[in-house]
Amino acid sequence: MKLSALRPVTLVLSRELALTALLLLGVSFVVFVILFLAPGDPFSVLLEGQMPSHEARAGVREALGVPRTWYVQYVSWLGNLLRGNFGTSIRTGLPVFGEIVRVGLSTLYLTLGSMLVTLLIAVPIALHSSVRGATPLNRPFTLLAYLVSSLPVFWLGYVAIYLFSHKLGVFPLVSAASASADRAWLYSLLPICVLGIGNGTVSEVVRYLREELSRVMAEDYIRTARAKGASVWRHAFKEGLLIPMTEIIASKIPFILGGAVIVEQVFNWPGMGRMAWQAAQDRDFPAIMGIVMIAATLVRLGSLLQRVVYVAVNPRASKQRRGAGWAE
Amino acid sequence: MTRYSQIAGEGRDASDLPVWRSADTLDLAYIGYGLLIVALVLVSYVLGVFNWLPHDPEQIRFDLLNAPPGSAGHLLGTDFLGRDILSRLIVAIQAYFLPGLVAIVISLMVGTTLGALAGYRGGEVEVLVTYVNNLVDSFPRLVLILLVIAAFKADIYYIMIIVGVTGVPVVASLVAGKIAFLRQKHFIEAALVLGLPSHVIVLKHILWYHCGPLLVIRATIGMGEAILIETSLSYLGFGVQEPMPSWGNMVQAGANYFFQGKFWPSTAPALAILLTILGFHLLGDGLNSILEDRGGK
Amino acid sequence: MTGAPLLEIENLRTYFYARSKQAFIRAVDGVTLSIARGETLGVVGESGSGKSVTALSITGLVSAGPGVISGTIAFRADGVEHNLLQDLEQYVRLKERDGRIVEVSKDEPGWRKAVERLMAPVRGKEIAMIFQSPKSALNPFARVGDQITEAIRLHTRAKNPGEAKERALHWLERVKIDSPRLRFDNHPYGLSGGMCQRAVIAMALASEPSLLIADEPTTGLDATIQSEIVGLLAELKAEFGIATLLISHDIRAISRLADNVAVMYGGTVVEHGPAPDVLAPGFAPKHPYTTALLASIPSVQNVRDKGYLTVVEGEVPDAVDLPRGCRFYARCNRVTDDIRDKCAHHEPELKEVTPGHHVRCWLSAE
Repeated sequence: MKLSALRPVTLVLSRELALTALLLLGVSFVVFVILFLAPGDPFSVLLEGQMPSHEARAGVREALGVPRTWYVQYVSWLGNLLRGNFGTSIRTGLPVFGEIVRVGLSTLYLTLGSMLVTLLIAVPIALHSSVRGATPLNRPFTLLAYLVSSLPVFWLGYVAIYLFSHKLGVFPLVSAASASADRAWLYSLLPICVLGIGNGTVSEVVRYLREELSRVMAEDYIRTARAKGASVWRHAFKEGLLIPMTEIIASKIPFILGGAVIVEQVFNWPGMGRMAWQAAQDRDFPAIMGIVMIAATLVRLGSLLQRVVYVAVNPRASKQRRGAGWAE
Repeated sequence: MTRYSQIAGEGRDASDLPVWRSADTLDLAYIGYGLLIVALVLVSYVLGVFNWLPHDPEQIRFDLLNAPPGSAGHLLGTDFLGRDILSRLIVAIQAYFLPGLVAIVISLMVGTTLGALAGYRGGEVEVLVTYVNNLVDSFPRLVLILLVIAAFKADIYYIMIIVGVTGVPVVASLVAGKIAFLRQKHFIEAALVLGLPSHVIVLKHILWYHCGPLLVIRATIGMGEAILIETSLSYLGFGVQEPMPSWGNMVQAGANYFFQGKFWPSTAPALAILLTILGFHLLGDGLNSILEDRGGK
Repeated sequence: MTGAPLLEIENLRTYFYARSKQAFIRAVDGVTLSIARGETLGVVGESGSGKSVTALSITGLVSAGPGVISGTIAFRADGVEHNLLQDLEQYVRLKERDGRIVEVSKDEPGWRKAVERLMAPVRGKEIAMIFQSPKSALNPFARVGDQITEAIRLHTRAKNPGEAKERALHWLERVKIDSPRLRFDNHPYGLSGGMCQRAVIAMALASEPSLLIADEPTTGLDATIQSEIVGLLAELKAEFGIATLLISHDIRAISRLADNVAVMYGGTVVEHGPAPDVLAPGFAPKHPYTTALLASIPSVQNVRDKGYLTVVEGEVPDAVDLPRGCRFYARCNRVTDDIRDKCAHHEPELKEVTPGHHVRCWLSAE
């Protein structure tokens, strides 16, 4: 790599980084507005924890000098967020941030694993249909992808538990928390596969990859590669596979995180999804707010990563191109 | 073997055949299936409104708990309270139809407006719309809904508003992308040269003539998404509440009996969901390939 | 020009299928051509006459279905004769009615696999191609130099990277790219159209092929760059003498470079002969289409003679619905009453009128 080639890349990336920060600011504002508008004054909860009565709260506000205007509230709340102070969970009384970090890792494990499963299903189907053209297997595969994407994921989870744990006994029927360490990975295989298959994105991933790959295969430079007897894959890989793969996966992170909420519930998986569910049950504002912020951050980081890959492999990337969202 | 055959009657003028004549048979089959599902949904809605059902969906029979399909005139069997599953499946459409329409209307109206603004105006408006799109896309839909539920104790209509709002970016991107495509083909310049006012170009020539099929496809997919979201929420206990049936709470309730080997109370609604969503997907796909990809083949 | 020709195409048909009309597009419909070693054959014709599809058919790069459906392509290099359409019949079934193909069944995957096998020893190594719009012909994701090095390492004895790079730089220099060492590291987007085409030519020559197919090498370039590229091709021809199939609708480029010329019309060759004969406006036995085509070139000669430029009246025949008789009949201004009936209903053969000069016209058949 030459230094001259690196400079526009860092330029582009610093812009992406700034955009990510700006979007997260927007996210925090939306969350703030929702909580601000919510009945029951969750902000007194957020800022001061549980207080017995309105008078007491008001008194504490006065004493702490907590201002009444919404924008000052927002700024002080945002300041707390930036310091990693997400408040205290109403249910457990523990700091939310620490709790999210603790369960977040297992959710990350679940979602990353299931992304891999989704790709393992979708990529071969997309490759098959875009490279081989019209083969007899083409349509059944596509139909299969649609079928899989239409399944309600928790029902798929039940079927999987019934089949593999109950009937066949392949996987243990215990939760990951109580499973002995050496078999924990085996247990996790089932929810990962269920989420990977049932997150509802398989058909879209297949379609997007197939379209992009077919488009690239029709490019002049691929014809040139074939005409000179070179490997088509060598030439098509970056634009035809690597870029679309990162694009579609990055844009599907929200769906996979949403699916994780369900799958964690089905499999009693101790992750962010279960925590979110619990928080919504209990109207545990600090917890659910923290989870929304962290989930949105994960989504943005995914997009950022996608942009990094895009910029890294594409020498023309300094010229702005629209992201994955426009291709759907 | 791929067969290519020339239709008889050589020497006729070489004008294009009507869409359905030249379409792939399988695409037509997809569309046919999708339309059938749409018709079934509409019919079920009407049946539910007028209460024309095989059984009373809320009649509890303790002598017929989790009865298998076909028993005692219950075509799809009964659930854990002995209620007729088929009737409940039909009535459950009530839970989706209007809320689903709310979601669709929001995402289409707002999405089209933003997309048209971004695509037609370009420049800073486009930057702003892209920002809004990315902002909305940053929230996992289900997690955002949980937040709103926690904040407002939201019912299905609130939830569908969120579904509609989170569906905005896709529609906006589609419309903006279409306009960008038309611009590339110098369609818009041509219209401007003809002296057409902007609102005529945008409303009639762009949205009506060129985005119509696309929006119809989006609307069907939107109904599918509404059903899936409600299903997930029902599973989590936040969707439509008993005794009002929804496919989601039926799967959820039936799932408790899954391990006793009684599959149908949850499988029947799960299949209803599967077949319906599949229908919407295939309708979208079929319409897309015969209406949108036509030039490309 | 001794011995068997380097490339011999016989009765090649490449069809496409218009789904919306449920009809065949007879892009190449019975083309017969040959190229001797060291010969440059120019192929001229209007857009849509099947020139480029012929070139793609030779190298098995036709991607739309049904594609190549019949014919033979013999290619002799290194003392080995390759039949590039060997066993084609087993993948294709044709149904004819009234002497017209009305149905094609083709085992596309099988055919594609067979083509790739047949092409493996030939494509890129023995037959190299240059395409139009060079900017899109180069891989935008790879450095220009690496793309040339790849061809060298694939097809020549220079296998180690350092040696291959030296060869690539040599070729970049040879096609007169200024500061080749700098350009070697560039991605195509940083190069001008003319430079890209030079790089593409370097890439084609770098594998030291026995046949070069140049498919409209000057199309999509600025006028001044066009003549530079033609000049470069002329120099390379003089230096290496590689047999070349030069496809172009730029008749000036053809007349400067070609030894022989084939004129294509409506998917078939209507005239084929030595370049000076075919391209001389006054030369007697000639297809009326060639005459009309030549009269339409903006040249000093034409303008001086007539004071204006003529156009070929009418339109290129619709490849979907080709006429039964002579393909040029509807536009021909030399039909006489004696032959009108034949012109309208029977297609003339490609007939030798003077040694080495063939014309497909009832006028010359008399």
